[in-house]
Amino acid sequence: MVTKPCHGCLQLPPAFLLPRAALSLVSKRGIKSISTPRETRFTRSRTVPQLEASTAAALERKWYTTPLRTGALGTKKGMSAVYNTETGRRQACTIVQMDRVQVVAHKTKERNGYYAVQVGSGWKHPSNVTRPELGHYAGHGVSPKRHLVEFKVRDEKGLLGIGEMIGASWFREGQYVDARANSRGMGTAGVMKKFGWHGQNASHGPSKTHRQMGSTGGSQGSGSRVYPGKKMPGRMGAHQVTTQNVKVIKVDDEKGIVVLTGCIPGPDGCLVKLSDAIKKPWPEIPPITSDAQGVAEPLRETT
Amino acid sequence: MASSAPTLRPLSCWKALLRRSRQQRMCIRCMATVETPVKSPRPPPPLPSSYPSPYKLIHKIREPAKKIVTYPPPPSTRNKYPEPLLEWTKDHLKDLDPTGSRQRLFAKTNPDTPQPGDIILVTFKTGEPFAGVCLSIRRRGVDTGILLRNRIFMTGVEMWVKIYSPNVKSIELVKRAEKRARRARLYYMRKPKHDRGSVEGEVEQYLKRRRLIRSGALGVKDPKASAKRPESSRSGVSAS
Repeated sequence: MVTKPCHGCLQLPPAFLLPRAALSLVSKRGIKSISTPRETRFTRSRTVPQLEASTAAALERKWYTTPLRTGALGTKKGMSAVYNTETGRRQACTIVQMDRVQVVAHKTKERNGYYAVQVGSGWKHPSNVTRPELGHYAGHGVSPKRHLVEFKVRDEKGLLGIGEMIGASWFREGQYVDARANSRGMGTAGVMKKFGWHGQNASHGPSKTHRQMGSTGGSQGSGSRVYPGKKMPGRMGAHQVTTQNVKVIKVDDEKGIVVLTGCIPGPDGCLVKLSDAIKKPWPEIPPITSDAQGVAEPLRETT
Repeated sequence: MASSAPTLRPLSCWKALLRRSRQQRMCIRCMATVETPVKSPRPPPPLPSSYPSPYKLIHKIREPAKKIVTYPPPPSTRNKYPEPLLEWTKDHLKDLDPTGSRQRLFAKTNPDTPQPGDIILVTFKTGEPFAGVCLSIRRRGVDTGILLRNRIFMTGVEMWVKIYSPNVKSIELVKRAEKRARRARLYYMRKPKHDRGSVEGEVEQYLKRRRLIRSGALGVKDPKASAKRPESSRSGVSAS
C-alpha cells in the first residue's frame, strides 16, 4: 500500500527532534513508496479499483468464495457402486466416515485477522498429547483430537459453537461438496511420469537419455540460471489435491457415513476434508444448525 | 696507628636512634588502628518467602507440574461401525438381490459356482441374451462382475457383466469346462491359438434341453431339484 504524502497537514520537525510519543506519527513500519504510483495504461482505469496489498484486502477479495459454514473431517473408507434400480445405471461412489468431529476453537477477525472454525476429529490418548496442546483442548472443554483442521468461514455467523458435534447430517443428500485430501505418494518420479512430458527420441542420436527432461533453461540471454519453480524430477504425490463439485448421494448419521459420487483423492484410510462446493450455489442450510446432534459434551473431569 | 673506630662510633649512635624511631612509628600506627570506630554492617533484609531458595535454583528442583484437566471423548461411530463399506454393500445388495440367489450362485463356498472356462448365458432386461466363455470372475461386493467372450460374425466379442446390475434378468450356466482351468484369468484365450470361438452350438443344445425339461418330455418332475443333483449338475445352474 502506498502512503499518500500529506501536504495540507502540519509539517513535523525531523524525527530526532520529536518526543518519543510523537515518533509513531512519523515512522511506520513496512515498505513505503517514495513516489506516488505512476499512471500507466494499467492504472489509468477509473472503474477498476487498485488492488491493495494487505491481508484484509485479500480476505475481502475472497469474500465471495469463502464458505458460509464450516466443513467437516472424514476418513476415506473405500469405493463401491450404486445402481439406480429404475434406470439400471451404475454410479461409482466413495464412502467417507466421520468420527467424533467436533468444533475445537474459533479464529476471529479481531484476534487472528480472519474467521475460521478449528475442527477436530477422532480421539488421541491424553498421554500422547503435549502439554501445550492438552491445555488448548482443556481450555475449550474438548477431548484431545487426532486431527485438527481449520475451515475458513465468511463471517462470525458461520462460527459453530465450540464443542458442537458435526455429524454426517451436516451435509445433505444431493448437495455438492469439495473433497480435499493428500494424494497417494508416488515417491521419486521422473518428469515423464510426474508432468507427462514426452521424453526424448528413441533413436536419431540420443544416447542413454530417453526419459530425461532435457534442457533446464537458456544460457546468457536468459540469465544463465535455473529459475525458481522449474519443474524437475523428484517426489511425486503426497500433496493436497482438491476434487471440486462432488455430489453427496447418501448420508447416514448413525454410522457417520457420507457417500460421494465418483472418486476423491488419497488412499483408503486417509483424512478427507469436506466442505461446501465453492463453485455451486451455497446449500440451503442455516450456517449454524441447532439440530446438530449432541451439543457440548458434559464437562466431566477425568484423570 | 690511628684506627677507624672513633669515626664509626657516631654512626652506631645513629643506628640506635633510627631503630627507636621505627618502633615509635609502629606504635603510632597501632594506636590509630585501635582508635578507628568500626561500623557494623546492617543485616540484609529477609528474602520474600516466594523467592526460590538457592539450593532449589542450583539443583533445578521444580514444583510438580499442574495437572491439566482432560475430558472424555464423545461416542465413536468408527468404533461402532468399523467396516462401513461392508455394511453399505450388504444394505445395497438387499435391494439389488432381494432373494440372495445371485449371491449364493457366486459364493466361493458354493461347489456349483461358475468358474473361469465355463460357458455362461446372460439374459438382459430387454430380452436379448449374451453367451460366452467366462474368462474371469471379479468378486468385489456390489461391483462383482464376469467377463464373457464369444465370437459373433467372425469377430471376437468380450463383455463385462455386472451380476447385480438391475439390467441383468438371469444368469445361466450352460456348460462346465471339460477340465478345471488352472488359471484364474484365461486371457490367453484371446490368442487365436487358444480361442474357443463361437459358443452358439453349446447354447443351442442347452436351450433345447431346457425346453424339454420344462415341457416334462424328459420325465423330470422337478427341474430345480434335478439341477441340484450331481449327475445333472454339469449344466443348468442358474440364478434369475
